[in-house]
Amino acid sequence: MTKTSRTVLWIFCSLVAAFVALPVLIVVPISFGETRLLQFPPQGFSLQWYENFFTSPQWLRATGNSLLIGALVALTSAVIGTLVSFAIVRGRSKGGPAVTGLMTLPLVVPNVIFGTALYGIFLQLGLTGTVLGFVIAHTVLAVPYVVVNVTSSLRRLDSRLEIASASLGATPLKTFARVTLPLILPGALAGGLFAFMISFDEVVVALFLGGAGLETLPLKMWSSVQFQIDATIAAVSTLLIAVTTLIVLLYAWLQAFLRRKATQ
Amino acid sequence: MTASSTAGTRDVRTQPVQPARIGAVQLLGVSKHYGDSIAVNDVSLDIHRGEFLTLLGASGSGKSTLLNLIAGFIDPTSGSVLLDGKNLEGVRPHHRNMGVMFQNYALFPHMTVEANIAYPLQQRRYSRAEARRKVADALDLVQLNKLAKRYPRQLSGGQQQRVALARSIVFEPPVLLLDEPMGALDKALRETLQFEMKRIHEQLGITFIQVTHDQSEALAMSDRIAVLREGRLEQVGTPHDLYFRPQGRYVAEFMGESNLFEGPNQGHGASVSIECDGLTIQAHTDLPITRGESVLVSIRPEHLQVRCEQEGAHDEGGAHSARVLASTFLGSQRRLELQLDGGREVTATLSAENARRPAPHAGDRVTVAWDPEDVIVVADRL
Repeated sequence: MTKTSRTVLWIFCSLVAAFVALPVLIVVPISFGETRLLQFPPQGFSLQWYENFFTSPQWLRATGNSLLIGALVALTSAVIGTLVSFAIVRGRSKGGPAVTGLMTLPLVVPNVIFGTALYGIFLQLGLTGTVLGFVIAHTVLAVPYVVVNVTSSLRRLDSRLEIASASLGATPLKTFARVTLPLILPGALAGGLFAFMISFDEVVVALFLGGAGLETLPLKMWSSVQFQIDATIAAVSTLLIAVTTLIVLLYAWLQAFLRRKATQ
Repeated sequence: MTASSTAGTRDVRTQPVQPARIGAVQLLGVSKHYGDSIAVNDVSLDIHRGEFLTLLGASGSGKSTLLNLIAGFIDPTSGSVLLDGKNLEGVRPHHRNMGVMFQNYALFPHMTVEANIAYPLQQRRYSRAEARRKVADALDLVQLNKLAKRYPRQLSGGQQQRVALARSIVFEPPVLLLDEPMGALDKALRETLQFEMKRIHEQLGITFIQVTHDQSEALAMSDRIAVLREGRLEQVGTPHDLYFRPQGRYVAEFMGESNLFEGPNQGHGASVSIECDGLTIQAHTDLPITRGESVLVSIRPEHLQVRCEQEGAHDEGGAHSARVLASTFLGSQRRLELQLDGGREVTATLSAENARRPAPHAGDRVTVAWDPEDVIVVADRL
């Protein structure tokens, strides 16, 4: 590649990156401004919007709800996703491809439709506005991401390790606990992190399920943008960006760790 | 451990690991079909207590399938596998109590060397102290004590192989199965490990069943060799038997190199004589071969006596003129491709070359002779 074409490519990529990242990053300076309105460039410097967030019981409650639901979703979808992955990769039934197809459904069905359908059922079951309702709904959305991660871990796993374990006298259950699980755990953890993220910023289905009973952080943000816009939302957004970035980095690290493991 | 020995100076040579028992394996008409293809076809074989038996064959000969059938990783389509007379049908691999050493070792990457070797002991609920002692003994046996805390990825191929070996024998199985144990190692290392393996076999006294495609490895290590071809057993015998008394063309060609000649027998009784490619070849045999029967004979390349023509070999009886097509120096040997004046091409190897004596080169004229005592009559299998 010539020097000019490299420069052109570099400029082009930078523009794309800026296009993607700038609208998001613009809230960061706004959150440190003094004015109440979302103003760019911001005037002055203050931490009052952060203070607002950390002293508001509603914001804190919404954050707590989101963290709790996210953690539960991470756990349940990691467990369910791992089991589904086993069925897909190791199962002898001919239904494997069908299950794989079914697993991608939550990725293609619009969340609005999923939310509407769920609303009807959950209302009857009394699950709207409950943590359990949220966890079930978000788990459905998040499981495919775990399945993608764990199936690829499982496919990379040398099946001879399990055969070797059997030859050394281990029962199938022991083999799973001592050989298979430790080796696919990073994949399951990565999937769990992803599931947490899916749940943590999910707003469409939450609109159907939430409300007076239970408000998650994205819901609270949504309603505050609608009714009383102020720079607190910028502070919340900035915190959210920080948390998300952290999780993405953790995810990337796990992936790199997995690759290292696989190439050993 | 004896009372006089102190910790750290254990000498395994004076204290062989005594296996609980030594197993004999019997294959009775074992077949394995995959759909229409037949991987193993009606193999019956007695593997004796304590012997080192090699299943030898090219890829696709069914040798690995046979090993997997003995280990119980796959089930035979028909026939049965017996351990000490007990039918193993329905006995899962984790209950067979056989040691298996895998081709790529299959060491657990998330466990240290020590933990890998202790694994089979934990499955058998050994006490912690007992397990620790046995792991130490096994590490002694393969001379890896210093690497106990390492992970497999921190070891060389040869070291990983030793760990795999230690792990597969630490629980004193009556039989050890080895799947291409040297397959992943370089040539120099392979040769040292062949002797190492034999030493360990002698020390343990248990039955070793090895799979390999390498005939020289099989010759060097085995008490007996079973040659497999396309799922069938071709011949079973000692290395010496297979080399000097091959049954059938396949074994004659597979075990070392051969110059093969075939023709109707014109001799009587124990002396065989055939005409082939304008040559008359005589041999002695104790096989019951009748006059007129078609006979296959083999002359090993090392048994052809090659002389340069100017050495005045014309007067020698039974010598044939030939032209050197190719001459390759291999260090301890020289390999010659020769064309006899009748047109037939043969391979010869010369040993004991030295720096001063001129060696034949491509294009040279030579004479070729052989001793009828060295001609091998290949028994017809059927």
